[in-house]
Amino acid sequence: MEMTVDQLLHAFRIMERSILAEQRLLRFIEAGDSRVLLHSGRGQEAIGIGACAALRDDDMLFYSHRGVAQILAKGILLDELIGDFLGRIGGATGGLGAGIVHAVDPKFGVMGSSGTLGGGFVLSAGAALGAAKLGDDRVSIHLFGEGSANRGTFHEAANAAALWKLPMIWLCENNGYSVSVPHREATCIEDVAQRAQAYDMPSAIVDGQDVEAVYGAVKEAVERARSGCGPTLIEAKTFRIRGHYEGDPQNYRSKDEIAAAKLKDPQILVQERLAARGVGEDRLEAIRQEERAHLEAAVATAMSHAKAGEAQIYQGLLAGDMS
Amino acid sequence: MSERIISYRAALNEALVEEMERDERVFLMGQDVAKFGGVFAVSKGLQDKFGPKRVFDTPISETLIVGGGVGAALAGARPVVELQYADFALVAMDEILNKAAKWRYMHGNRQSVPLVIRAAEGMFGGLGPEHSQSFGQYFWNAFGLKTLMPSTPADAKSMLKAAIRDDDPVLFLENKALYNRRGPVPDEVEVDPIGKASTIRNGTDLTIIAWSSMVAVALKAAEALAEEGISAEVIDPRGVRPLDTATIFNSVDRIGRVLVTHEGPVTGGLAGELIAQIVETRFDKLLAPPARVAGADTYVPQNLELERFIVPHLEHILAAARKLAATGKSSTQ
Repeated sequence: MEMTVDQLLHAFRIMERSILAEQRLLRFIEAGDSRVLLHSGRGQEAIGIGACAALRDDDMLFYSHRGVAQILAKGILLDELIGDFLGRIGGATGGLGAGIVHAVDPKFGVMGSSGTLGGGFVLSAGAALGAAKLGDDRVSIHLFGEGSANRGTFHEAANAAALWKLPMIWLCENNGYSVSVPHREATCIEDVAQRAQAYDMPSAIVDGQDVEAVYGAVKEAVERARSGCGPTLIEAKTFRIRGHYEGDPQNYRSKDEIAAAKLKDPQILVQERLAARGVGEDRLEAIRQEERAHLEAAVATAMSHAKAGEAQIYQGLLAGDMS
Repeated sequence: MSERIISYRAALNEALVEEMERDERVFLMGQDVAKFGGVFAVSKGLQDKFGPKRVFDTPISETLIVGGGVGAALAGARPVVELQYADFALVAMDEILNKAAKWRYMHGNRQSVPLVIRAAEGMFGGLGPEHSQSFGQYFWNAFGLKTLMPSTPADAKSMLKAAIRDDDPVLFLENKALYNRRGPVPDEVEVDPIGKASTIRNGTDLTIIAWSSMVAVALKAAEALAEEGISAEVIDPRGVRPLDTATIFNSVDRIGRVLVTHEGPVTGGLAGELIAQIVETRFDKLLAPPARVAGADTYVPQNLELERFIVPHLEHILAAARKLAATGKSSTQ
């Protein structure tokens, strides 16, 4: 489904924001300013960005651990994200995160992320259940890797979601690897979406590098969910340009494969789409400049906060600590 | 204030009814909780009263029951989920320990998980090693979870009401041996904040700290000991976290002799950690080494003849109490 030019421009902007943020985080890591574990989402940005374009602010996102683009698209502030990676108290988790992000912002429906892979299925189904019980029309969306889909939680949540017609969308980012293990060695079927049949659930397979294709599939699923027709399983075929984590030797795949993945960069595709719709390079360059300035301002804001100290380790265990 | 004599089971049912009437966001889900009324009949009549939207059965899917409860709580509902047997918590431990307990903490203290997980623990009529465990001690390190273990009908009602109103996740461990136990419950239950120990009997010679089903046994022991001239104070911590150490330490400081009893295995048990805290912080107040009277370090056999050897009996508490009262320094020295 086509996005409007404004939507495409916004998608381009968020993709630029996410890519610049990840680049900057890598520089922090290389310089030793940030000793963090980062799971890069490079190459997979179109999925989260396309999906969030089809959502309302109050729809609930449970993101994956490659979720930088996902949460930026949903509305997380860049300075809070950067602040977390730098262990600053102004960070989204008050500086506890400093690595794999657990950023949330309830006002944008950014609900959080399960550190244990596959933990998000039952949570996102539960959030959809909560919305249904409260009688509102929010939907819940969960992004996850195809490797996570081999957890038993997938089955427990999918069965209940389909049984109860829960307003949820499951968006699988199939990048072909469960950490280092190729999809064909970990999963008995080629397409994760095939499993939807077992739950009598609608499904779709889309090109995960194509922000408009993802947007269209998610938009349709959201309409179905919001109108009480239940969940949808969407599988977005994608490529992981970097390793599972920064420092991953990637000895399990060839250099040719990585080079080929770079040619499928979703940023290239979104620029081509904009050009085809008559948007000039000058306009894109202006957005790039704005995003570079935005990043520098976010870094400055993040750095203006103190580093999280020992007192922070006991904050937020219980509701009495609610700030 | 007027009161009625009702069962622990009925008290729990009343708590659910009252809280569901008070707050429309509260719903109950679990295996067999709807028409069947719960495997221990706690939710009997609730679906008729509140309809299938608010009281409904789940598939046999423990990760979904608990994880779905966490998600629904994050979305703003106030779910009460039932796990039937507390042993099944092991199937959903990622959801309990990694999700319910940690969500607030690891996401920067910006969300609440107002979830109640009800589960029946303890030995009851030969249910065997996977349906009989007493579980509180597994949750010492669940820092973001409140773990409650009511011992009387009155506590069952007031504590469940408090749990449902609480903004933190609560693991609510009901004891199977107590469901039929009857006791006075005030018509108007006071909902105390969670985390206050209950001093059920005052004494001067030793303190007995007892959890869940052992509270009634400890009270019987205290009565028998009184006839022998030994005055026992009985304190029920009413849960694992938060632990009201102030009340416990105050008693230990006054009396100097302490016996701790619970159903779960003695090794790594509730008593071990509590006694470690006592010895570490008030060794000089102790007149004798603290005593533990807890479950056997083995699994619970299904054979009823053998089951009774697992959990401590009155005689075990009496023997340990007499020994404790007779050893150590005199309090008057």
